[in-house]
Amino acid sequence: MFGELILATSVLLPLIMGVACLMLTGRGIRRVIIAIMATSLIASSLLLFYNGGFVYSPNYVVDMSALILDLCLAAYFLYVGFRIKNVLVIGLASLQFLLIAYFEYSATGVRVEPVLLVDNLSVFMSLIVNIVGSMICVYALSYMDEHEEILQLSKSRQPRFFFFLLLFLGAMNGLIYSNNILWLAFFWEVTTLCCYELIRHDGTKEAEKNAAVALWMNLIGVVALGFSLFVGYYATGSIVLNELLMAGAAPIILIIFALMALAAFSKSAQFPFHGWLLGAMVAPTPVSALLHASTMVNAGVYLILRIAPAIKDTPLTWVVALVGAFTFMLTAVLAIGQRISKRILAYSTVGNLGLIILCAGLNTPLAYSAALILLLFHAVSKGLLFMGAGVVENRLHSQNIESWEGLLGKFPLTAIIMIIGMISMFLPPFGMLLGKWAALEVIALSPPSIVFLLILFMVIGSAATTLFWGKWLGRLIILPIKETKLKAEKLHPPYLISLLSLLSLDLFISVGAAFFFSSLVNPTVGGGYSVQIGVSLFNINTTIGSFPVLLFWLAVLVIFIAGFAIAKSKGGVVKPPYLGGENVEGNPLAFRTIADSEVEFKLSVMSFDSISEDRLNRYALVGGTLLLALLFLVVIF
Amino acid sequence: MFDPIVNIILPVLLLVALPFFGGLLMGVDRKITAHMQSRIGPPILQPFYDIIKLWGKKPFITSRLQPVLAFGYLGFSLTAAAILVFKLDLLLLLFTVATADICLIAASFNSKSPYSYIGGMRELLSMLSYEPVMVLSIISIYFATGNFLVEGIFSIALPLLLLLPGVFVAMGFVLIVEMKKSPFDISASMHAHQEIVRGVFTEFSGYTMAMVEMGHWVKMMLILSILACFWVPNLLIGVGLALLLFFVSLVVDNVYPRFTWQRMLKTTWIFGFTLILANLAALFILGGI
Repeated sequence: MFGELILATSVLLPLIMGVACLMLTGRGIRRVIIAIMATSLIASSLLLFYNGGFVYSPNYVVDMSALILDLCLAAYFLYVGFRIKNVLVIGLASLQFLLIAYFEYSATGVRVEPVLLVDNLSVFMSLIVNIVGSMICVYALSYMDEHEEILQLSKSRQPRFFFFLLLFLGAMNGLIYSNNILWLAFFWEVTTLCCYELIRHDGTKEAEKNAAVALWMNLIGVVALGFSLFVGYYATGSIVLNELLMAGAAPIILIIFALMALAAFSKSAQFPFHGWLLGAMVAPTPVSALLHASTMVNAGVYLILRIAPAIKDTPLTWVVALVGAFTFMLTAVLAIGQRISKRILAYSTVGNLGLIILCAGLNTPLAYSAALILLLFHAVSKGLLFMGAGVVENRLHSQNIESWEGLLGKFPLTAIIMIIGMISMFLPPFGMLLGKWAALEVIALSPPSIVFLLILFMVIGSAATTLFWGKWLGRLIILPIKETKLKAEKLHPPYLISLLSLLSLDLFISVGAAFFFSSLVNPTVGGGYSVQIGVSLFNINTTIGSFPVLLFWLAVLVIFIAGFAIAKSKGGVVKPPYLGGENVEGNPLAFRTIADSEVEFKLSVMSFDSISEDRLNRYALVGGTLLLALLFLVVIF
Repeated sequence: MFDPIVNIILPVLLLVALPFFGGLLMGVDRKITAHMQSRIGPPILQPFYDIIKLWGKKPFITSRLQPVLAFGYLGFSLTAAAILVFKLDLLLLLFTVATADICLIAASFNSKSPYSYIGGMRELLSMLSYEPVMVLSIISIYFATGNFLVEGIFSIALPLLLLLPGVFVAMGFVLIVEMKKSPFDISASMHAHQEIVRGVFTEFSGYTMAMVEMGHWVKMMLILSILACFWVPNLLIGVGLALLLFFVSLVVDNVYPRFTWQRMLKTTWIFGFTLILANLAALFILGGI
């Protein structure tokens, strides 16, 4: 009964409400639909969290429909391939079609139990998907209104947009519950479909092109899953995840996991598949937020986390770790040279997923905890950052961070949200840093054969991360003395609700990190490992280090209260900046130059043009492809 | 085992003493540097006189957030010092120092000023050049002690220096960057022998300058203290070693002109990484771990 309730609210209801969005196109009714949907999604994930997991098998007819649905989707992808005349899509979709068709023909009546298995990891994912995802849907209400106003559309395309948005969330929920690989593959395909349709939503040439890239790259993953189904059924007789996970590390089993890892890399945009996620930023910002924070890329990470306990101590796990580490390092360096806000965020996402996959690949209890913390905090922070970046984009009509200069003076509320979001990505005592701290300690424990390489990747990646966030943060915080009195900023209610809830969630889980460790992270780790993180009221302890979270927050509080107190008591006259004594009276931003003419100075962001994006991307492609080859080589030999 | 004197009172005393020693060392620095340049130099206590003078000056600021962030620099440096004296996690210490740095950088960006903006960018580049070396050093200390806590250094029998000589030298590079000494003083020189407009410090004056100055003392003392931990059995020898590197950095400061940031990055990374990795490789082969 409980299982049916959860399934109804988190998988079926999004589909129904999505259809409702298509039928009822009014602006007001859409708000009501999204409000109901957000509430019920959050409620169902919290309910799931309090009640714990469940197992569920639908009746025979429903179960068998997975095959038909798989086939239909493959056929649809084939149709899309012909429509956009993309050879890769056609090839991959027909391969998938043949695989499923043959499977249906030869493996009739294959029935596995349980079809759905919801354990602690699924519950953990469900919280991220539904809470962050719902907030993004709420946010999209305001954003899409503004977006269509800017595009001056004669007929609103929002019904279609929200249909796919909700379908996406439903499919994601189905994906994390699935135990039967057939169902997993089905939901995997649905997310691929939603991703494709959402990226091409605006219908521009660039959008169509990038959506096609996203489609064929993700179809590689779909086909890989199809093959894993095949190998699973014909070589081992099992297409159930939980059986395969306990089957022991025989080579044939490892091939299944290598295929799944390949699928996960394509979904999580790891090298060499990172191209699609960067292209995806042509879509309206809520799509980026959804892809980066709550759905798409997390599906890949989820699959890696799912199979991690089964590939422990095999060579496979080290290749997974290497892919993650390599991706983390190179994307951080790539992000330094970027000036487009969403591109920086995209590289940062790919890198952080790399970090999570690195931890999953290191495959110790501590590493697994680190991966989970990073996943949790990354979702919240990245969701917040994308949402903030979208607001700024609609205000400034530019994605270039050059134009973000002095945001603090212009839009103080959005700027403060963005600043906290950025800080939460790379400075203590926020959660991401907690995760990075754990990751660094974990890496030190990895075996001598790869430890140096991993450490090098990690330290270079971390240092570059600090640089690109610091550089961007610096743009926002510029506050010309003309504007030292901040004026209040007005935001639409959906913006306000979504931004402030994610912001407070980010702060809440970071301050209460110890609580979330003991109630959320440790039980999830406990599924496959012995828990090795101790949590006391003030400290999060590993066997080799300790992070006093609450004390650190206390220090932050004291420092800022004292800082403001000193600033208040000493105060001071606000003076124009130093300009070699050539300041112009009355304009603090101008100086006198040749023949005393007045010139306003400009501050540009350091561009790092010497970092060639094309060249680094070539390294990424080559390195990534070699690592993929290695993934299968270590299994076969 | 909990001894209030050792576990609470002593660390607190150390924490209070740290900035004081920092100021004193700055005085020594200025005296020695002056002698190297055939000047007489100010009295040893001059840094303290400076702070008192700066604090009492009529306050001028270039933006409202500047004093808060300047205090953030000092505050987070002191937090890092607290992490050290209470023998907590070394990685956390490093992250806290980075937070202090970001406060300084944010303050320099905050006042819209060309000189301090470039200074801030260059301070970010300084972080880029020393942070990986520092993280590698800390991981090396873990390899030698089996622990990321400062406590761990005190639990091994051999002095750290004998296990990690390469790391000790690599940390010397970090020290030079942190002390803002030539050739690694791209963001601002601590002494005005290369510039008049002071990069990242340009827009600070009076009490905000005083806070930044003290923050700098604490940060310098942090690195020196970690270096002193390289000879734990007898901390006096450790302090001697740290002071030796301190003196070396003064000599280097007066011998080398400032590097470009690219050259600085290459130097710290290539020398730092090579020294540390070679050291670790030797440690692995000799079976130290």
